[in-house]
Amino acid sequence: MTTAQGQSTGKYLIVYVCLLAITALQFFLGYQHIAGSQLVVRFFTFAVIESLLVVLFWMNLGSEKPGFIKFIVYFMLFVLVCMNYIWTDSFRLLLFRLTGMGPS
Amino acid sequence: MSEAHLTVGAHTAPPMEARPFAIPSKKFAMWLFIMSDVMTFAACIAVYSFTRNSTPDWPRPFHGLTNVAVMTLIMLTSSLTMLFAMKSAKLEDKAGAFRWLMLTALGGVIFTVLHVRDWMGMINQGAGLLQNPWGPPAFGASFFVITGFSLLHISVGTLAVIIVALRYKGGRYNADDVEIISIFWQFVGLVWLFIVPVVYLMNLAP
Repeated sequence: MTTAQGQSTGKYLIVYVCLLAITALQFFLGYQHIAGSQLVVRFFTFAVIESLLVVLFWMNLGSEKPGFIKFIVYFMLFVLVCMNYIWTDSFRLLLFRLTGMGPS
Repeated sequence: MSEAHLTVGAHTAPPMEARPFAIPSKKFAMWLFIMSDVMTFAACIAVYSFTRNSTPDWPRPFHGLTNVAVMTLIMLTSSLTMLFAMKSAKLEDKAGAFRWLMLTALGGVIFTVLHVRDWMGMINQGAGLLQNPWGPPAFGASFFVITGFSLLHISVGTLAVIIVALRYKGGRYNADDVEIISIFWQFVGLVWLFIVPVVYLMNLAP
């Protein structure tokens, strides 16, 4: 086994341990009776870190050409950010269901 | 007459267009597929989150998450074995790559069995696509759609891993094909890492 191949195995194992640790932390936090809004932020942060680790090191996007990385990242982020327009309506619906009145 | 026409007239093969981003076409196609699949999963997660946020009496039927924790461990481990399969394939270690691929498929099968067992537990309590014994029926619809879509990807992915393993062993596929199925498998594992906190762990929030 060459040094580079040995390094890739080490990289895969380090990412695996990191993912296990982050997931274990998520389960731990889930049982800590933290308020839902705070929990969402923490879970989302951890999930983003996990996805970066997987995409860059396990799906090897980090070793692709810069133009290809930009193509993937820009398109994905644009669509994922645009998808967040739903939240205002979700909270409006919640308010309506709790109070029986929609915002004027 | 242009130079291009002269070349075609001389029965020479037409010039090939350069590959986009200079990466293999199959890999590019897989990334395009994954990009479109991200949209679908993101939409499923957005719909689940929208419905959950806007429903005051959202049910919390998951009391113990041991099964989900085991499923997550198996998914992450099978992602690792898939990487070892890809690495063995690049080293032209056919037996090693086949062995790692089959181990990955075994992980997929165990995950699928545990997932179906989880589902059966809920179905036996009366939950379904259009009904929910704990409150709003939207829970059943959004839960089974989001987890069912993931389960579909993992079960079909398991089948694809087995097919790639057999064809790689038979010499019809090469290391590039193993790399492509590896990218897909890492993606389905990544999706599960988003589903666990959104669907299962948020269930524990007070």
